Order: sequence, then structure tokens, then C-alpha cells
Amino acid sequence: MRHVVVVADMIIGAKNDLVVTHALGSCLGLMVYDPVAKIGGLLHAMLPLSKINKQKAKENPFMFVDTGVPVLFKGIYAAGGQKQRLIVKAAGCGNPLGKNEMFKIGQRNYTLLKKLLWKNGVLLESEDVGGTNSRTVYFDLSSGTVKISSCGKESLL
Amino acid sequence: MKPNKVNEIMDKVESFPSIPGVAAKLMALLDNPDSSAEQIEKALKYDAGLTANILKLSNSAYFCMMSKIGSVKQAVVVLGFKKLKQLVLTSCVGSLLNKQVLGYDLQMGELWRHSIAVSVAAEALVAELEIPDSEDILTAALLHDVGKVVMGEFVQKDMEEIWSAASKGISFEAAEEMVLGMNHAAIGASILKNWSFPKHIVDAVRWHHNPEDAPEHSVIIDIVHVANILSLMIGIGLGSEGLNYQLIPSVTERLGLSTSNLESVASRTLQAVNELSGLIECG
Repeated sequence: MRHVVVVADMIIGAKNDLVVTHALGSCLGLMVYDPVAKIGGLLHAMLPLSKINKQKAKENPFMFVDTGVPVLFKGIYAAGGQKQRLIVKAAGCGNPLGKNEMFKIGQRNYTLLKKLLWKNGVLLESEDVGGTNSRTVYFDLSSGTVKISSCGKESLL
Repeated sequence: MKPNKVNEIMDKVESFPSIPGVAAKLMALLDNPDSSAEQIEKALKYDAGLTANILKLSNSAYFCMMSKIGSVKQAVVVLGFKKLKQLVLTSCVGSLLNKQVLGYDLQMGELWRHSIAVSVAAEALVAELEIPDSEDILTAALLHDVGKVVMGEFVQKDMEEIWSAASKGISFEAAEEMVLGMNHAAIGASILKNWSFPKHIVDAVRWHHNPEDAPEHSVIIDIVHVANILSLMIGIGLGSEGLNYQLIPSVTERLGLSTSNLESVASRTLQAVNELSGLIECG
């Protein structure tokens, strides 16, 4: 079944699911897959730190990287995934042109993700991050394949 | 630059629909502080769609009204002229903006959601930065990309050339200008000029990507510039050109904007956009 993950949302699915998220700009798209249990999850988080709006983080932890990433991993474990088997991939985290640090939300999202993963002893298998491109992710949970569509071109992550 | 293209584009601008008569009439009434609630009610009487939209919006969670608004007259009293004018405009331009836009690869509804997002983000920025008299900022924000509706088919035809220009590190609207002789902001400004919108709103649409090139700096241009890029960053109305737009650093300095202002606005924009875009039915 095809599922669409909107901005500030997450879906965990299993074999035969195709999880799609559209138009990643500065947002982070994080894909986690267990190839043995054949389950996976996709998070589309918007901003790095939840302290900016604690109320919103309470209502929707998937808006923020610091609250969304732990919920994704916990969800995967609850569905039968095992940490040592997980394949983790990241996409998005783009930035507009120009040297304005304030608008590098994408870069801050990515930096925080790396910090969280490092602290928990998880490594990224692959990534397609940064730049100005809009990216759409197709995550096939039967095979774990992640396809990125950007500027009319498709590539495997 | 292709001069014949400019003529072709301007022909399309000239034949672009005008703003609906009832909207023009209502906006004029709402601009005049001496108008009465009865006059406004009368002007709306024959437009059931517009009346329904105004009531739906007035009662939406976004406006947090304590009691239910059941009539136009009540909406006039509770919301006030300025807010009502914004609702009329939002409702009336929906049908022009709620369409698929070729070239930028925006699916049906995406340009509309983007227009609402920029308006919502602009409103949140205005509140965050405590800027007074924000009504015109919201109008400019709502209409800033109307030029894309005309420009889409031209961008589509010359996509490769525009992309090859943009890939050399210039922003997308500069690439449009290089290849087609005009960019979508200039076209949007021409449309609003034809609609007899005030100059400062036309200017905000014209310079929303290049605030430094405007004849004078204005807070309207600066807010629309920031709200637009922020909405694209969070993926609302993000087309094939991606984030290939330049953020002008002096704008954030002039506004006194901080990183926490920006991220706080982003966190509040998303939900409001989802609420509002679902409420407004476009005829």
C-alpha cells in the first residue's frame, strides 16, 4: 500500500508498503529499515530543536528532529526491528542560496541528526542532503530501496 | 533575452482574468470607514459562495472566536473591516491561484497552499516583530506569486535553457529573466497594476525576490521576501526550482529578525495553512 508522509509526520510500515514523502526543502527525511523484519519508517521533520515551540512539540513530536527521531526509532523497535540490523538513510536538509546563517535550517537539521545518531551509536548508510534541490522520497519496504526524485531525475540512495 | 517572448507574455497578462466584480466592490466598501454593515451585507447578498466562505473562515479555529458567527452582519462587527477585507480577497483569488502550474511543476492546489502559507507566515512575522498596520503585507503575501500562473507555460517551454542558466549559481528568477526577458515577480506586479492595486502592494510583489533592487526599502517587501523563502523551505509550494532563490542578508538585519523568530514562525505556519486551505472552497 502507498502511504504519503506529510510535513511534520511519520509512518512506520511493513512489507508491501511504499512510503512516499514529497517536496523536502530544508526539512529532514529520515528512513530507517530492518531488512530481516522487513519493516521501516519514514520521518519528515521540519525544524531542529523543539525548545522553539514546546507546545507544538507536545502536540506533534514529528515537527522537530530532536523529538521526532527518538519516536521513529522507538516505533521501529516496538514493531520488531533490531538496532544492529537497521539501515538508516537521510535526505533533504537543503538551504536557499546566499550566506545567511539564520536561514540554514536544513543544515541545522542535518547537524542535529548526526549528533543524535552518533550519541546512540548509529551510522548513516547513505545520504542525499544539502544544496537547493527539492527532493521526493520513495521508500519501498519490501526491499528497503530508497529512490530520490529531484529535478526530474531519479536516483537510488 | 527574447523580446518577442516578452510581448507574448505581456499579451497573456493583458488577457488574465480581472478580480471578480463583487470583490472589487466589497474591497472599495471595506476601504471606506463610513460604509455600513448593511451595505456590505447587500453587496454580498448575491454571492452565496463568498458568503459561505466568509462565515466558514470567521468560525475557523484560526480566528479563535468565542461565539459562533452566523451572519455577514455579525462577521462585520466581530472581525472588523480590515480582517473582513482580507477574507474577501482570500476567498476571491482562490479560484485564480488554485490550479496546477506547469513549468514550476506545482500540482493542483500547491500554489494556493503556498499563497496561504506566505500570508500566514507573514502574519506570524508581523506579530513576532511587533510591526503595526499589517493589512497590506498580508495582501501582498497572498498574491506575491500570481505571476507564476501566467509564467508557467513559458517556463515549461524553455525549461532546459532556464535550468542551465540557474545551475551556474544564479537564482531562478534571474534565470527566468535571462532566458525569457521577464521574471514571475514582474509579471505578478503587472497583473496587480491592471487590477488597480496600490503601488506599495504592486512593488512588494515586484521585488519579493530582490528587495535590494526596489526603488525604496519597505517593510512589506522585506516581510514577503522572508515569508516566501521560509514557506518554500518547509516544502509548501516548493516547485521544481527548489530553494534556488537568494535570501538577502540585509533584509533580516533591517527587520531585526533572529533565528528563534524565524523557527518559531515556521512552527506556527504549518498547522494554520492546513486549516485554512481546507476551509476555502474555490469557485
